[in-house]
Amino acid sequence: MGAPSLERDSNGATRFNGCTSIRDFEFLGKLGEGTFGEVYRARSKRDGSIVALKKILMHNERDGFPITALREIKLLKMLSHTNIMRLKEMSVERSKGEGRKKASMYMVFPYMEHDLSGLLENPAVHFTEAQIKCYLIQLLEGLRYLHGKCILHRDMKAANLLISNRGILQIADFGLARPFDEPPPQPGKGGGEAKRDYTTLVVTRWYRPPELLLQLRRYTSAIDMWGVGCVFGEMFKGKPILAGNSDLNQAQLIFGLVGTPTEENMPGWSALPGCEGVKSFGNRFGNLADVFKDLNPTAISLLTELLKLDWRKRINAMDALKHPYFSTPPLPARPGDLPSFEDSHELDRRRFRGQRAALPPAPAGGSVGMGRNGGWSANSGNRTGAEPRNNAQLPSAARGAKPNVNGNQGNQQRRPIDSWNNESQQTRSRRAGEETSQSLPSRHRDGGLPPKPPASTHQSWTASHGDKGGRDRPYGTGRYGAPDANVDSYVPSYGGGGGRSRERDHGPANPDWRGGPCHDKPYPDYSRDNPPRRRSRSPMYRDRVDRPAYRR
Amino acid sequence: MPQEIAGLKFLSNALATPEQLTSSSSSIDGVPTDLETSVRFAGAQLTQSAGILLRLSQDIIAQAIVTFTRFWLGPEGGSLRIYSAKDVSAAALYMTAKLSFQPTSPRSVLNVYTFLLSKEASPLWFVNPRGLPTEPVPEHYHLTEGGYQAQRHILLQIESVILRTLGFNTHVALPHTITLTYLQTLGVASPAVARRAFEHLNSSLLSPQLLYLTHQPNALAVASIYLAARENGVKLVDGEWWEVFDVDREDLGFLVVAMQSMEGFARAESEKWKGRMLPLDTEEVDAEIERRRMLEAGE
Repeated sequence: MGAPSLERDSNGATRFNGCTSIRDFEFLGKLGEGTFGEVYRARSKRDGSIVALKKILMHNERDGFPITALREIKLLKMLSHTNIMRLKEMSVERSKGEGRKKASMYMVFPYMEHDLSGLLENPAVHFTEAQIKCYLIQLLEGLRYLHGKCILHRDMKAANLLISNRGILQIADFGLARPFDEPPPQPGKGGGEAKRDYTTLVVTRWYRPPELLLQLRRYTSAIDMWGVGCVFGEMFKGKPILAGNSDLNQAQLIFGLVGTPTEENMPGWSALPGCEGVKSFGNRFGNLADVFKDLNPTAISLLTELLKLDWRKRINAMDALKHPYFSTPPLPARPGDLPSFEDSHELDRRRFRGQRAALPPAPAGGSVGMGRNGGWSANSGNRTGAEPRNNAQLPSAARGAKPNVNGNQGNQQRRPIDSWNNESQQTRSRRAGEETSQSLPSRHRDGGLPPKPPASTHQSWTASHGDKGGRDRPYGTGRYGAPDANVDSYVPSYGGGGGRSRERDHGPANPDWRGGPCHDKPYPDYSRDNPPRRRSRSPMYRDRVDRPAYRR
Repeated sequence: MPQEIAGLKFLSNALATPEQLTSSSSSIDGVPTDLETSVRFAGAQLTQSAGILLRLSQDIIAQAIVTFTRFWLGPEGGSLRIYSAKDVSAAALYMTAKLSFQPTSPRSVLNVYTFLLSKEASPLWFVNPRGLPTEPVPEHYHLTEGGYQAQRHILLQIESVILRTLGFNTHVALPHTITLTYLQTLGVASPAVARRAFEHLNSSLLSPQLLYLTHQPNALAVASIYLAARENGVKLVDGEWWEVFDVDREDLGFLVVAMQSMEGFARAESEKWKGRMLPLDTEEVDAEIERRRMLEAGE
């Protein structure tokens, strides 16, 4: 097929075939796990490529296959852009033998070595300005494409930006994404105007724009642009720039940075429901120029455009790409010219994490105080007790890892972070949790993630989930897991494992690096979804791969 | 999903391969081709009826029928001796609605299917050949709590089977909207033509020739317009206007004949199954095959 064909993708593979078998992949190790599912690194036996396999957990799904996963898959299959993560295919694992009692489904992605959050966490990695510009351009290109296709990402954050060793940045995690009904953004017009309501229960708190914190329901693609601003600042600072420990605190941090809202800088703000009932934020000017005083004026100019309180005036992706920042020296690096880093796995990440936990100010916790949610500070190490519904594994990982990890760190080469990082997965665990708590903040990041606000801080979820907001998540079921799986287990427990000393090596070589069960079990049990099979037929028959279904 | 999402890709469908069209899982399992055609036809009608009772919009129903039809396709598809057509119909509808702006609950779906599959109360000729009772007896179509639990389990299982069998390709592009666009482009203002074109498009969902699996939406749209205009005596522009919409004369001719034959096919089907129930689950399919075997052996 020489000419572009609808039935073939760019690699000549059939676009419409059934799922491939998981036996086409050689498992190399686990990259992470959590309520969203488990992520493995694997090698394709067909072409030798390295992929990330994300297993979709479906236990306790009241409404069948998780709508969020289904929607994410459908969306990803529709998108095609260099800077958008590509879903290669779906893969099914069937247990051997007749009956096929268990089957698991995996999403197959090209393997990316790092994520931005992880790279920034790596103390050995320092971005040059040319590098920052290179990543930012790619991020904006991806968003221009996405918004041009009328899709809101709704979970913009450093952890969802994957970076390959060839310097390519990709936007990942479309679990919260959805199409929007309005026309795509126009040059000079920001995100345009929204005509309908959407749920405000989106975006990880640290990257959540002020209008969402104030409960604007008619938001636009400008919410993603705020996240770009946060990521932009984060690339300079090496850590999230607005790490609130509650929604209210988040709003206060934002207003401290860019000034409190007035009818001039944020028209209509006083008509919004407000943040946790608070509608008065005093009268302050921002200190953005001070906080970022090391930046050159064009950088500050762009940052100011992105972090505009007025969502109507906030710069859109296509305009941001034309900002003088990208045409003034140092010019953006080309992706291929960026330094590459040895890729690493989650456990390496955790090593940094442990090390980082010893560093002075933790993202959210300590200095600001954990407030009502208490006990989430990375440094305080008291999360286990304070937040029992979250898996004790994380705290034990964070705390337990510290001494060892630090101890080992010294002579250890620094590794940047793996792409299938905790962070990306956090969103999922967060989402899974969201189903019960109806809250959206991400958790567990580096020990300092914002805690989930109590459900009461948001307007009724049930009220919104029927018709309007509910379209987002019609049934409010778990993303990849059920509400009761509100357990962020992707950060494995160091406490339980005796394998800690082996973590020098990558996970794949040492699948038992953690004491937990079923790690190296690439074919885990999965008990669902096989219909009563009344008649026997050779299972191999159905296990054939590369079937040409739906190809002309 | 808005159609503009990725241009052409989302105006088009995955089409069946010749291999898939020549052999099916059911035929490998010994289901006669004509029986398979009948069951598929009845299953598509069942889906349509259920969608109407669930007050789903026609685009959801149509997508569900296409998904239902795709499921049985080819040697890697589902077999009627393993999966019950009624279950696949329900799961396809449930899943399609879930992805749409009109999600519906398993209970609503199962209530409707219980009613439609009731051998006493169903309004469907292939389920209840005696026709609607004069006095409805609610017990005949009441879904018990136990029945609900069991059916729900099956519904969700089959949903997964469908997703897996179709490789998670839940996208279905329909010809309806572009049909209206084409009509406007052609300057046809007659609502009768538009209505008739839609009727053809909706009947084609039930086609034994699997038109939605073998032709792209633009071809279906053009054929339905051509036929509707001719039936209404509306003159379209001169010249080979279908070429503008990337449809060649050969495809157009095939589709027009296929669409025209739908009525005769539906009549023949109801004639063929007159007074009998059409097998919509695996046991009934087995029984029908056995009955045919006995008939043959008796001769």
